[in-house]
Amino acid sequence: MRVQGLTRTYASDGEPVRALAGVDAAFLRGTFTAIMGPSGSGKSTLLQAAAGLDRPTAGSVWIGDTELSRLSETRLTELRRGRIGFVFQAFNLIGALTVEENILLPLRLSGVRPDRAWIARVVERVGLGERLRHRPSALSGGQQQRVAIARALATRPEVIFCDEPTGALDTTTAAEVLALLRGVVDEHGQTVVMVTHDPVAASWADRVIVLADGRLVHDMPQPGAERIAEHLAALGRKRAVGAR
Amino acid sequence: MTTLAARLLRARPGSSAATLLALTLGALILTAMGVLVESGLRYHPEPVRYAAADLVVARPDTTFTSKEFDGETYRSTVALPEGGTVPVALAGTIRDLPGVAAVAVDENIPVVTADGSLAAGRGWGSAILSPYELTAGRAPAREDEVVLDAGAAGGALPGSRVGLVVGGVLRSYEISGLVTGTGTATAFFTDAHAAALAPRSGGVTAIGVLAAPGTDVADLRARVERVAGDARVLTGTDRGLAERSADRAAAGLLIQIGASFGGYVALLIVFVVAATVGLSVRHRRRDLALLRAVAATPGQVRRMIMAESALIGLVAAVLGVPGGLVAARWLTGELTGRGFLPASFPMLPGVLAAPAAAGVVLVSAVLAGLLAARRISAVKPAEALGEAAAEPTGGGRTRLIGGLVALVAAASAAVAAVAVSGQTAMGAALGMLYLFVLAVALLAPWITNAAARLLTPVLRTGFGTGGYLAAANLRANARGSATVLTSLVLAVGFGGSVWFLQNNLERQAVAESRSGLLASRALVSGAGLSGSALAEVRAIPGVRSATPVRHTTVLAPLMGDGESIGARAVDPATAGAAFDLDVTAGSLTGLRDGAVAVSRTQSSMFGWDVGDDVELRLGDGAAVHARVVAIYRRGLGFGDVVLPLSTVAGHTATNLDDEILISAPASADTALRAVAARHPGSTVVDAAALTGGLAKDLALSAWLNRLLIGVMVGYTVVAAANTMVMAALARRRELALLRLVGVTRRQVRRMVNAEQFGLLGTAVVLGGSIAALTLSSVVRALTGSPVPYVPPLGAVVVLGGTTILALATTVLPIARLLRVPPIEHIGIKE
Repeated sequence: MRVQGLTRTYASDGEPVRALAGVDAAFLRGTFTAIMGPSGSGKSTLLQAAAGLDRPTAGSVWIGDTELSRLSETRLTELRRGRIGFVFQAFNLIGALTVEENILLPLRLSGVRPDRAWIARVVERVGLGERLRHRPSALSGGQQQRVAIARALATRPEVIFCDEPTGALDTTTAAEVLALLRGVVDEHGQTVVMVTHDPVAASWADRVIVLADGRLVHDMPQPGAERIAEHLAALGRKRAVGAR
Repeated sequence: MTTLAARLLRARPGSSAATLLALTLGALILTAMGVLVESGLRYHPEPVRYAAADLVVARPDTTFTSKEFDGETYRSTVALPEGGTVPVALAGTIRDLPGVAAVAVDENIPVVTADGSLAAGRGWGSAILSPYELTAGRAPAREDEVVLDAGAAGGALPGSRVGLVVGGVLRSYEISGLVTGTGTATAFFTDAHAAALAPRSGGVTAIGVLAAPGTDVADLRARVERVAGDARVLTGTDRGLAERSADRAAAGLLIQIGASFGGYVALLIVFVVAATVGLSVRHRRRDLALLRAVAATPGQVRRMIMAESALIGLVAAVLGVPGGLVAARWLTGELTGRGFLPASFPMLPGVLAAPAAAGVVLVSAVLAGLLAARRISAVKPAEALGEAAAEPTGGGRTRLIGGLVALVAAASAAVAAVAVSGQTAMGAALGMLYLFVLAVALLAPWITNAAARLLTPVLRTGFGTGGYLAAANLRANARGSATVLTSLVLAVGFGGSVWFLQNNLERQAVAESRSGLLASRALVSGAGLSGSALAEVRAIPGVRSATPVRHTTVLAPLMGDGESIGARAVDPATAGAAFDLDVTAGSLTGLRDGAVAVSRTQSSMFGWDVGDDVELRLGDGAAVHARVVAIYRRGLGFGDVVLPLSTVAGHTATNLDDEILISAPASADTALRAVAARHPGSTVVDAAALTGGLAKDLALSAWLNRLLIGVMVGYTVVAAANTMVMAALARRRELALLRLVGVTRRQVRRMVNAEQFGLLGTAVVLGGSIAALTLSSVVRALTGSPVPYVPPLGAVVVLGGTTILALATTVLPIARLLRVPPIEHIGIKE
């Protein structure tokens, strides 16, 4: 999974705003990558473009041998439901459906018969065995995120994209969710790409990428939470100085 | 997809409640209209009068043919308003054909019996066609002998004398016998006497043929058709077509009202339901974005929305159709009670109408779902990632272009609507209204935005902080409030135009009649007035003029179809003294045989001008080539075509006059009343009563229009109301947030009031302008003056009703939301 020369500009009140200014990155199979950066650095835009949720203005996105930017909306959806999983910060689940139905939703939409044994393993892995018949509204925030991870795993995707998956959770619950993601990478060889602003969350990853003003400014193998925080703080100071 | 749609529906029934309500009411109205259409369409007149005849030769209708652009011949058959005739000589020809056992000519002579009720007068020879059996006495043999059935005899026995008004003249007859046959009160004269009394010279109503035993009726029919010319030869149940009956006219009326209003309601349903489905899609944007993100293709989401609409449509049909059947029964009762429908008319239970209405509702729902689902492609899957469901402001280019096209179309329709007559004016007005509302619906985002900018200072001074927030909301939510604005404009536009159009028509007709009527008295009779009445009136000392007037209907080809036009036949020599038509071109002095005067509305509709030769057909189908000699203004009060009496003589059903307009001093009243007494069924009325009678007739026919317009306006109002409730309840998160950041309940309420004020103001201005434009262009076509009459109470009801509607449907739900602690609404569940 890799992106090349990824550029994305938005038109805002007639003036073009550059959210991504040519980002190159590759995410290896079986790794856990955290994307970090200050607000407005383009990290969410990168995730959306890489996940096929948004189309880049220029550049290309490759998942395996498939180039995403040239696919039709329908083909893109089919690719998303088969090869990509998602975990968002909140509102991950359809309130009308039970936990089990939410987990099976991508399979149901693609008309694929679910692999019962695999689903059972996934459910067991996220620890939601007894709550399958419940509605999401009866679950805590952490449990909801675990359902979202189970859904993301249900199709055995090549890569799972997470957008601030712990943003709305307390520290303990967040750690449980991150441990689950870590375990998925280590035990199942899953690829995970996660956007976060929390250095502690990022410290669970194998590698941390830092974006600023739409460019990749740091790419470091797991440096530990403190060093990540230092990098970010330095970036913040530079920006503050630059702005002045 | 359907099961998923069903699950989503069950979890959030509220978002579909508005759609369900709109569709259920729609199903109800459509079913009721469907029952009318079905009863009208499947009505087949049973032969009664000609039940014993094998063949009936008659001319019940007339056919207009025209060439279409592609060279195809287009045929349109119209029932003859006065009934057609066949030449009496044809009877002799048919009698000589092989296989004919007997032939009888049938006359239809209007008779008023001693107690004032109407009876059919016939020649004794035609009794075999029904057949009638003598129960007492013998057949009539002398000119002053008559055979009556129980209905006409009223208990009188053979040998006694009765007075019958025949041909407008009271005559004395001796009852020679009594008969039993059909249910209609009937009087049989000798054939010779019947021929002498017959209203149509040279023609008879029908010729009945009895086949000889062993003759093949189909063969005989072919033989008769060869000699019958353009008359129709009817067999089997078709024989009923030759009988003039109120049922047949009622069947036509049922089809007309059911089909036209059913059509408009179907349009309205698609309009309203597309709006409510659109709103529910808008409110579930985040769910849909999530579905899109995790796996659903745009097509799948579209199918899901359509499946959802179809499910709601199904439930609505189940709920609404039985209600519609009940409504149809009620409507039938009312129509019968008001004389639109004979009590004997066979109404059908709606075996076809019910499934058809359910089908239309289902199709409308799916169509509306399709329209709403088209917006789904605008829901970006990335929106699922956002914290708040972002509402794109403004609309797309396609929407803007579509809106402008609709606006231009509406404006040109307004121009076109000026050139039509009263009957079609209603249709044109409705069409124009729809186009305007469509334009508003499409342009609503830009309209609300502009209005919000304009109103910002007003709202700020009027409502303070709340006003400031309201203006910001209106601007930011321009697209979200489009549905609410559209329903409000629809309600105001509808209520303010079609309803008042009816008022204007009635008022104008009465005003024209009042100002145009010069005569001070009138002798009127439902049974018809003969020449003897006219002569007697003219002989009264002091009578300055007496003008006989006959009401009839003529047919003229319009775009291939035969259009019925209400006409008056008058005595040209004295007409000028009786009424003033307000001639705008030409002169009535040239009104003689082969000439007509036409009202301005009709002349503009048909494109006729003074000096043009026009082709008309009289009420019995007789073709008339006439030259237009005058165009006049007062068509609503005096009919759209004025002909000389001599032209229609012998071509109307009774061949009698309906009224005699008299200019006479009060001293002549006693003598006039004496004339009335000598002509049973007639009365003397003054001018005020004559115009009052017109107003009463109009009010009666207006009742039906009012009812149907009322149903449509009511439907619009309900649609607007539930759209607004739905929109208001969807704001709980936003309002909870406002309260959490410190906006007080009072301020929230003021904000909502300010928003409603802004929306309402815009809607009233737009809806009012549309209504005024619609009304004004139609009224101008009718009266020449562009200023419509708006009853003050009506204006108050429309404006006040809209205000109450807007406030009640928003302020009350918001107040309910505000009673709940805000923290309950801010949660992660939406």
